[in-house]
Amino acid sequence: MHGDRAVPLKIVVAGGFGAGKTTLVRALSEIPPLLTEEPMTSASVGVDDIRAVPDKHTTTVAMDFGRITVDDSLILYLFGTPGQDRFWFMWDELARGSVGAVVLVDLRRVDDCFPAVDYFESRRLPFVVAVNGFPGTDAFSREAVADALALAPDTPVVRMDARSSDSCLSTLVALVEHALDRTHAVHH
Amino acid sequence: MTPVEPVGGRDGRVVPVFAVTGGRTRSTGRDLPVESLVTATDQRPDDLQKEYRMILDAAVAPVSLVEIGAALRVPVGVARVLVGDLADAGYLVVHAPAPRDAAGNPTPAVLTRLLAGLRAR
Repeated sequence: MHGDRAVPLKIVVAGGFGAGKTTLVRALSEIPPLLTEEPMTSASVGVDDIRAVPDKHTTTVAMDFGRITVDDSLILYLFGTPGQDRFWFMWDELARGSVGAVVLVDLRRVDDCFPAVDYFESRRLPFVVAVNGFPGTDAFSREAVADALALAPDTPVVRMDARSSDSCLSTLVALVEHALDRTHAVHH
Repeated sequence: MTPVEPVGGRDGRVVPVFAVTGGRTRSTGRDLPVESLVTATDQRPDDLQKEYRMILDAAVAPVSLVEIGAALRVPVGVARVLVGDLADAGYLVVHAPAPRDAAGNPTPAVLTRLLAGLRAR
């Protein structure tokens, strides 16, 4: 198709443990999931809190990524961030030059996404907060989420379902729109 | 650091430069971000190591460093060195990155293309 003209772009997918990062990446990716998850070991206990996610027995400890061929010369990569503090160094590489980030939130455990929100705000990387529709989290207002996370007024908050590719796609569209707004705000 | 054997080296062998892999820490690949795209060129010698052959097979169409790492089941850092070897030897082309502004962020033009492409799906 594109010879050597194709260029890559990337979007970072962050959020707390079990918030749906891997689900989102897999809902959108055109390549099969590659070996990215390893069994949770005792060393992980205390780092990732598994009590609130009893059905989840693995944690993402390696590069979790997906690919979307956007057009004949643009390929978008999605990178799930490693969920443990000892992988912070990888966030820098993933964030550098990226379009921005999707921060997935499970409203039952809002606090889990504070580190991601702090990280992207401190680096002025555009991000959207994506409230993943877990059971029991139907009612919320943008204000409530923005207050809980101390979001800047222009940070988009979207409700979505990480299992639905359409919903995930809409979330990416919201992020790219926000990133474009930010570039226009800088240039004008 | 082990010196890299040049093509047609001292004993007259015609050996790809990257046949010697031990100890090298510098190559074209050293600055490549994880999403860097590469494509195989028309050149392809017959005597490549398995890992290099796998990379060239994967790169018949544009493929990223991170995909190569996953396919070979090696860390991205290792894939970066191997890809650098192949690029130095002329067997892979490393694509230009997406256009960036002065701050290193994707330009509005490329973001607009991305937005149009996502909305069309």
